[in-house]
Amino acid sequence: MNNPLMSGRMRATLVVVGLVLLFAVPSFTRNEYVLALGVSFATFAVLSGGLNLVYGYAGLLSFAQVGFFGVGAYAAALLVTDANWPVWAGALAGAVLAALMGLGVGYSSLRLSRHAFAIVTLSFALLCMIVSRDWVSLTRGAMGIPGLAVPQFSFPGGLSWRLNKPADFYYLLLGLAVACQAVIYAVVTSRIGRALKAVKMNEPLAQSQGINPLRYKLMAVTLSAFMTGLMGGFFVFYLTIVDPSIFDFYYTETMLIMVILGGAGSFWGVLFSSAILTLLPDMLRFTTDLRMVLYGFILILAMLVFPGGIGGWFERRRIERWRKVPYGGRGTP
Amino acid sequence: MTKKLRMLATSFASIVLAAASLSAAAQSGAPIVIGSSIPLTGGVSTFGQHSRWGSELAIAEANAAGGVLGRKIEMDFQDNRCNPAEAVKSVTQMIADKKYVAIFDGLCSSVALAIMPLIERAEIPFVVANASATSIAEKSGVGGNKWTFKVNPTDASMLDALAGWLEKDGKAGSIAFLGEDTDFGRAGSAGLEAALKKRNRKLTDVDFYQKGTADFSNVLAKIKSKKPQLLALYAIDADFQNLMRQWYSAGGGVPLTGRVLVDQVPKEIMASGFLDGTTSVQPYDPSIDTPGNKTFVEAFTKKNGTPPILVSFESYEATRILIDAIKRAGNTDHAAIRDALAKTRYQSILGGAPLEFDANNLLHNNAAILGIKGGKVVVLGFSKT
Amino acid sequence: MDISFLIQLLLNGLVIGVIYALIAMGLSLIFGVLEIVNFAHGEFYMLGAVAAYFLTTNLSIGYWPTIALVTVGAAAVGYILYELLLSSLRGEGFERSILLTLGLSMVLQNGAVFLFTTTPKMMLSPLTYSNVIMGDVRMPVLRLFALGLGIAAFIALYLILYRTQVGKAMRGVSQNREAAMMVGIDPRAVSRLAVAIGIGLSGLAGAALAPIYAVHPLMGFSFVFKAFAIIIIGGLGNVSGAAIAAIALGVLESLIGGFLPTVMVDGLAFTAMILILLIRPQGLFGRGVRV
Repeated sequence: MNNPLMSGRMRATLVVVGLVLLFAVPSFTRNEYVLALGVSFATFAVLSGGLNLVYGYAGLLSFAQVGFFGVGAYAAALLVTDANWPVWAGALAGAVLAALMGLGVGYSSLRLSRHAFAIVTLSFALLCMIVSRDWVSLTRGAMGIPGLAVPQFSFPGGLSWRLNKPADFYYLLLGLAVACQAVIYAVVTSRIGRALKAVKMNEPLAQSQGINPLRYKLMAVTLSAFMTGLMGGFFVFYLTIVDPSIFDFYYTETMLIMVILGGAGSFWGVLFSSAILTLLPDMLRFTTDLRMVLYGFILILAMLVFPGGIGGWFERRRIERWRKVPYGGRGTP
Repeated sequence: MTKKLRMLATSFASIVLAAASLSAAAQSGAPIVIGSSIPLTGGVSTFGQHSRWGSELAIAEANAAGGVLGRKIEMDFQDNRCNPAEAVKSVTQMIADKKYVAIFDGLCSSVALAIMPLIERAEIPFVVANASATSIAEKSGVGGNKWTFKVNPTDASMLDALAGWLEKDGKAGSIAFLGEDTDFGRAGSAGLEAALKKRNRKLTDVDFYQKGTADFSNVLAKIKSKKPQLLALYAIDADFQNLMRQWYSAGGGVPLTGRVLVDQVPKEIMASGFLDGTTSVQPYDPSIDTPGNKTFVEAFTKKNGTPPILVSFESYEATRILIDAIKRAGNTDHAAIRDALAKTRYQSILGGAPLEFDANNLLHNNAAILGIKGGKVVVLGFSKT
Repeated sequence: MDISFLIQLLLNGLVIGVIYALIAMGLSLIFGVLEIVNFAHGEFYMLGAVAAYFLTTNLSIGYWPTIALVTVGAAAVGYILYELLLSSLRGEGFERSILLTLGLSMVLQNGAVFLFTTTPKMMLSPLTYSNVIMGDVRMPVLRLFALGLGIAAFIALYLILYRTQVGKAMRGVSQNREAAMMVGIDPRAVSRLAVAIGIGLSGLAGAALAPIYAVHPLMGFSFVFKAFAIIIIGGLGNVSGAAIAAIALGVLESLIGGFLPTVMVDGLAFTAMILILLIRPQGLFGRGVRV
């Protein structure tokens, strides 16, 4: 949805400036923690962006995202470690595999009710974790695959880029995140995005207008699966280890919080909340014992104060200004 | 709505204040600080808690004895949720903070493995107290990660000792295995298989349960119906408590072995003599009778209201080893501490010869073979790991 | 194959299933009437168990009074919870409810860790190890009590939903919120009661199981996902559907665990859930607070 506070031109300028600044960060600071935060932000931006596409735009509450993340991660790790593939090919293969799984999960369960779909995706994610832990001959089981190789990209013309510094991963993952967000933005502002919103708001009506809901929902699921798998495929090389914890509920929880706090269906809101929520848990580290209690409290407060998330809040302000009547004032329901 | 919000906001603010004051109270002077990364929340938070308690006791004792290099010593604990991504983020922060002389524990194997490249690049010593994966030591020391030091013995070596003992006793016939479905349990079955294979035997039945399972009645009934000679258990924490109760309720009938937590058996079950004949191999048991251990158990129980477990002991000893190394280094330079660690000769509270790090930066404590006789834990023997 | 082994498995499964049912019924009721997911549901189960532990161990209150106290206390907590957090949701707060209850579960779980530590606590009473023995089949007495409590709770819920005005109101709101409002049902009062009952059931489950299993702050976490799956498979908002699905799951897990490696139990259970939903997307029994 449009940000009410600025024109399209100004917004574009801000985006460009923001990107330049983000990419310039490693030149200004050698503080590896800042870079680690950047990596985390980039990864979660894509994770939550993907979930936003599926949930915020298509209206499908999906717990499968973490499954696609881990599938991409494991596929990349295994292909690189066991079959000596270059990292970019492994990650790409992981993304494709994740997309295929998304297609499978989507095709079989999108005909179901919203709630059944949610549970099927939940079971899918849980099954992924179980398989990664128990199919020991394939995935090395609970031990995981430690000591993943340092990625090296070879470009035609003899140039090569060895990612052995945190700054390298920062650039790579940030670049990927920007690309993915650009794709998401293009999709949601296009006809596809409008179709998705129509389907989410009133599926029978959308259908009657000639929109095939299944096709659009499937598109959303598969695309988000691909991007999520791609990020997973590269992220594990930053961690240097992949193990079943890549399927932890921790990722799902974080993604959900980012999307809902950002405002499901709000592109910029979710992006913004990804940034905030990457920083927030670490800002709360001043207390070891009560960190998570405070975090929970903040979530509760945020939901009471911003019912529609950040995006929803901006939406309300936009409508307010348009109406020039205070929303929720006397006489309004 | 406003009133409710205000109420919530007030309680939130008071928690923030309480939390801030808790942490503020812990700061003072120019202390030496170690950074510990442990799972304080999530599925293995019990271990995180015990690791913290063990470390805190060692720190408190060091400070009571005059501190280290004339300064107070402190430990900061950061939660890693047993997740490598969280751990990388938080340890990177600790390293960037530049105030930590060493990084401690990790606790979960995958977390320790993820931290290893970080501390190598930052050239900060990393002391692993509890993670059990063999690959940690394999990748450390000569020809590998020179900054990582592992203090606990590998499962493989301990199980080898146990298998040897069982064979000597004539008991290594048909052994069934039940363990938790994690790297800990899987390492257990792999280690036991390897140890038995050396002696031309194997496990007759291997099964795993999901961590957090409360109900074992079916799997226990299944095991009993197959009538193995021994049942090797790799269970910890609440799962172990539930297992013991349900095993007792089911009437038992098969002696237990493996890594049975003989120190955590419910008292009434122990006292009934039901578990007599159990054998277990552990790097630690609170009942090991040395003056050092007695003092430790007493001090720990008094401070925390519950006796120490294996994890508390390992963190305690590893912290003491680290503190000792800092003292011997004479300063807080990372490289000096690393070198001092490599030259460690540490007298464990369990007695025995002074312990040293080997070429893979692994410290070989002894493993105790424990048994239960007459409703009490007895030490059947020690074995060098 | 040993027939008594099979009977033992079925009996074990039944008891576990009834426990699942206690937790799932409350979740289903809350979902049916308020249309929200309660991610903190497992935490109330845990709190019920912790409360039962303290009442019994520190205050020496007997088994049955403890159960009564904890259930009533949990219902009161549910009432307060509704007033405090959920009353503002009003029917379109699905996303908000996810985050609210997720935050609540974080607060409760980590607060419990902070206050009680993670060390598991076992309740001990003269009944702990008493078994009822019928031939080769043994059933611990405390489990039979839990089974009985579950059945009693189900009957009580049935009576409330079908024999009282307020129960009818709950079913009405669950089937069609707007229509219910139009006939003068106050959704707020009904929702409040639904939450109170739902949390009360969760607390009851905790109190019933505290004497049987180890009590620790994380004990609720593993039930939550299964509970969600159960209420969808049972049919949304269909309380008895949830109960039946829960028992079926308990028995299924028990049978799988009895004949196949335990490590496969969860995997097969989730696969079964997926298959059921693919075949019958509206759940086994369809929608509606029917009993």
